Parts: sequence; structure tokens; C-alpha cells
Amino acid sequence: MIRTILVCATLAGLPLAASATAAELAVNVHDIRAQTGTLRVALVNTTAAWDGKAAPVQAQQAGPQGDSAHFTFKDLPAGDYAVLLTHDENDNGKLDTNLVGMPVEGYGFSNNPQVMRKPTFDEARFSVPASGTAIDISLR
Amino acid sequence: MDRRRFLRTLISSTAGLALGAAALRSAPAFANDPAQFAEGVHAHPWLLGWRSVTSETLGPATVDLQGRLPTGLVGTLYRNGPAWSERNGLRYDHWFDGDGMVHGWHFNGDGTLTHRARMVATPKFTREQKAGRFLYPAAGTSVPNAQAVRNNDDANVANTSVIGINGRLFALCESGSAFEVHPDTLDTLGPVTWRPDLAALPFSAHPLVDHDGSLWNFGSISLLGGAGLLVWHIGRDGQLRSANMIPTPERGYLHAFAMTDQHLVFVLAPFDFNAAGGSFFERMQFAPQRAARIAVVAKDAPDKAQWFEAPFAAIYHFGDAYQRGDGIVLRAVRRDDMDEARSPMKEAMAGDGAHASNGRTSLVELHLDMRRGKAHWQDTGISTIEFPLFDPRTAGNRGARLYAPTVDGPATAPYFNAVAAFDVDRGRRQVWRYGTDILAEEHVFVPRPGSRDADDGWLVGTLLDPVNARSGIAVLDARHVQDGPVVQAWLPYAVPLGFHGTFIGRG
Repeated sequence: MIRTILVCATLAGLPLAASATAAELAVNVHDIRAQTGTLRVALVNTTAAWDGKAAPVQAQQAGPQGDSAHFTFKDLPAGDYAVLLTHDENDNGKLDTNLVGMPVEGYGFSNNPQVMRKPTFDEARFSVPASGTAIDISLR
Repeated sequence: MDRRRFLRTLISSTAGLALGAAALRSAPAFANDPAQFAEGVHAHPWLLGWRSVTSETLGPATVDLQGRLPTGLVGTLYRNGPAWSERNGLRYDHWFDGDGMVHGWHFNGDGTLTHRARMVATPKFTREQKAGRFLYPAAGTSVPNAQAVRNNDDANVANTSVIGINGRLFALCESGSAFEVHPDTLDTLGPVTWRPDLAALPFSAHPLVDHDGSLWNFGSISLLGGAGLLVWHIGRDGQLRSANMIPTPERGYLHAFAMTDQHLVFVLAPFDFNAAGGSFFERMQFAPQRAARIAVVAKDAPDKAQWFEAPFAAIYHFGDAYQRGDGIVLRAVRRDDMDEARSPMKEAMAGDGAHASNGRTSLVELHLDMRRGKAHWQDTGISTIEFPLFDPRTAGNRGARLYAPTVDGPATAPYFNAVAAFDVDRGRRQVWRYGTDILAEEHVFVPRPGSRDADDGWLVGTLLDPVNARSGIAVLDARHVQDGPVVQAWLPYAVPLGFHGTFIGRG
């Protein structure tokens, strides 16, 4: 079982919009290559948040256990979202990159866009209906 | 951890991904057809040289040596080359795309030779082997539905050369990390990270060994869509001595380099990317209307370069370089047909034996005037060679004798059928013709143990005999190439042609 660590204190300020149709999003993560460090998942719903200029809707983290993992985001208003995921394999608090900026630790995005750059919000955007949904993300 | 910092890190750290776009983008297209290639092999058996392997290992096979093994020649010729080029109905259409297989040709010292080979277990090969299809972008073929990669090492095929450092063996490919391989079992030990911030950076397939046993190499950031030349220096102990990024004036392709006692010389061939999608070699277009950019880097100051310009030249391989007065002279094999240079033996990869061509090559000299900052090319009159090598013990103030496969007389295959030694300055050539049907590969110079004289040693080269569907190896006396092999052996099977090797002596 994946140990989901919700760091409540740091999430206190999040705008958890109350909605009559609070939906649930399941994120299934595949192709986890290393069994060390921390997987971090951010759920955003705006371009600003995708670009790091605004807070995410929710965020979660967990240590890897096996080559797949499962995260659940609850109480979401129906709407469009995107997910960014990183695997901080050595727990140094960042996604390590080399001298020219290429990542050397795992990462992934909703929709698994086949691009060798950070996808745009639109490329990673998907819809969460009121009835909830599940998505699959392959770490690369 | 602070949430804001975590997200800022998460989001901003993926910004560097933009750099990967050049080498790793891939658009759906139709690659070669394995069935068509199989028909081609039937009609033109020499295409065996480009046939895919279908098993992770070959051999071991022990065969008797024909002839008399020279005293002192004990050790292993390691070679590397693209070997796995077909999966699930798709055949790569570029020779550089196949996953690397490292071969060990062991001279056992008892009149026998043992050959064994093993695929390099890169992440790409391992995952594709499991999936049963090509999953990742290739350098020269558009792979349909290719998966996004973490970085260039996810697409590393480790297929071009092999080198020994301090008892360790490394399979090399120009677009990413060196992969360490066990020298006896050929098992893959994994990619090498010389320093954490240098992980996955290009470490070319053509490092050069200095007189002190240390190793110089470069990594071309152009391959990743950026700019810059990373200059590596690895000590003879296998530890990183330095790594310096030298800015480049424009995007340029280079595959190898040359060095003198004091300098490293890098010749960049400018290229553009065309607007169409596809793999690196599908989109790269040489720009022969623009000058070659030549960087001369002093070994005692490897963080900067003196830049020269000379007319454009598309070059894969360099011979020697030496100091002459205030200048440097280097030798290189120029590819005279740009399209062929972009995809050598393209028709052979497609199984089209009737139209295959080896391309035209010319041995040229580059003369650099260090004081005046001028450079010019000079023809040598030597043509139709590739994979030149030489004895690095040659004095640093004169040209080395070059050893290279060439064509002599009729040849069934549009490939090399001979090996030659060239004394460029005197215009002399010694040649050994293997025969009309034989394909000859790179011949590595092996110094005679205990000798100090330049060119006192042997050439060890591999061969393909398509008529008998067998690969072989030959040893020639480097000073008497025209006498032919002193010893030779043939395997009971054929292996695909490869690129580069290194001989590691034993005992």
C-alpha cells in the first residue's frame, strides 16, 4: 500500500473550494524507476499555477513502493486540471538537473505529452467531471 | 518541506527540458521494412553486414588461428557497432540507430581465438526488449509513437566505440553517457556519471589517449539542441580531471577530433534544422555555404579556444595531428556527398543492394597558422578510405603513417575490400587486398610489447565474408601491410559490421 503523506500544515492555505459536487481524482503513477526518495504531485487548474506563479489546488507526496503508485485528490470542484509529478530520488528537495538543465530524476505530466520540454498547461489539461475520474501518468 | 518551495522547484526545474527538443523529437513516418531487407540479403549476401541480430549474446565460439600468431600478441580486440536494428515489423533506416553490441575477440595465446558478443543493456535496449518493439526516439529514424524520454540517456544506444581506462571498459555513443561493460563477461554495469552535474551529458565515441595515459574527449551540446562544446579530461586512473564548457559561435556537427602534443583541435561543420519533423539526422542539413568553425584548445587551458575558419567540410573521422613551426597540421577523411554523409549506407540499411553506395571520401589536411589565425585545407590525392588510425607513439613534429580500410580492385559490395598504410608526405601506399567479396573494417594499430619505435606493431582488423556467411579477424605486420595477414581466423557465423574498436593487451 502506498503511504500517502498529506502534509496538512503546509496545505492549510490552499483554496479548497467548497462545492456541492465535490469530485474525486485518482492519479495512477507508472514506471517508477527508483525505490528511494519522494514522489511529489501537484494538481493545478490555471496556467498561472502551471507556470509556478500561483498556488496549486492541492499537492501530495509519498515515498515510492514498487513501480507504481496511487494518489487520490478529494473535494474538487468539477473543471479542468493538470498534474505535475516529480520523483526526488535522493530527497534533496529538488528535481536534479545536469549542467545544461536536463533532468536526471523522474518526472511526468497528466496526458503524458510526447514532448521533450515542459508541456503547456493546455497539453496537460484534462477534465474532472462531477462524478470524478482517474488518470494514468507514466514517469519518465 | 515548504510547500511553495516544493512547487516552485517542481515547476521551474522542468524548464531545462526545452534543450532536449533537437535530438529527441520524433514524428511518425514509415521506416524500413524488414521483409524487404530479407529479400535484399538473398539477392546481395553482402547485406549481411547490416542484418539485425536477434539474440542478446553471440558465441562464445573458439576457433583455430590460421598462420603463426606473433609472439607478444595476447589480448582482446573489443569492438562495438549497431547490431539490433529491427523490432516488431520496423527496421531502422539509419545505420547509426541500432542498439550497440560489444564484441570481444580474445587471442588466447595458445593458437586459438575466442569470440563472444553481448548487447549493451542500456535502459533503451532493456525496456524495448521487454516491450518487443522500439519505444524511444532514434538518431536517424522516425519511430512511430515514440515515448517521451527523461533525458538523452533514455535513448542512448551505446553503439559506436569501446575504450579501456585503467582496466575498465566503456561502450561509447556520441549523444550521451559512457556505459561501463565488464571486460570479461561483457555484462553492462551501467552509465558513468563522472560528476553529478555532468550526468547524461554527451561523451563522444572518439576520445584520444594522451602520452601520460589520460584521456581527452568532447561532448557536443549541439546534439541536444543547445550550443557548446564540453571538453572532458579523464585521468589514467579513470577519475575526472576537468570538464569545461566552451561556447561555440554557431551550431556545428562533429563526431571526432584530433590532437597534438599541446593542443586539441575540433572541427565543427555548420548545420541547420529543416522545418519538417522527424529524427535528428532527418532534420539536420549541413550548411556547406558556411565556413567550418575550428576550435584549437590548449591542453593546459582547456576552458577556452582559439577559433579559426576554413571552407566547410563534413567529416566523421580524423587521423593524426602534429605541430609544424607555428602551426598545426591535421589529417581527416572528408565526406564529399552531403546527403550520403547524413546517412551513410542508407540503401544498404533498406536492403537495396543494387543502389547502395559507400560515398566518396577524400583524405585532406587542415593547415592551421596559429600566429596569423588562418586555416586552409589541402588535398592529399588519397581517396576512398575511412576509419583512419595510426601509432600514437609517432613523434609530435611529423605526420603519422595512417592505416585505413580502402578499396583495391573489383569489389562485390560497395564497401572496403582492402587495408592500406599511407605515408602521406611521400605519397606512398602499401595495400593488402582481401578479395572481391570480402568486406574490411577498421584495423586497429597494436604496438609490439617492449618496442618504442613508431609503427613497430600489428594491425588487427575484422572482416566479413558474405559468401560463406562468416566474420573473421586478421593480423598484419604494420610495417609490411602488403604481405597480408600473418594470422587470420574465421568464426562459424556472421556478425553485423561495426564501427570502432580497441585492443587491450593481457599479461
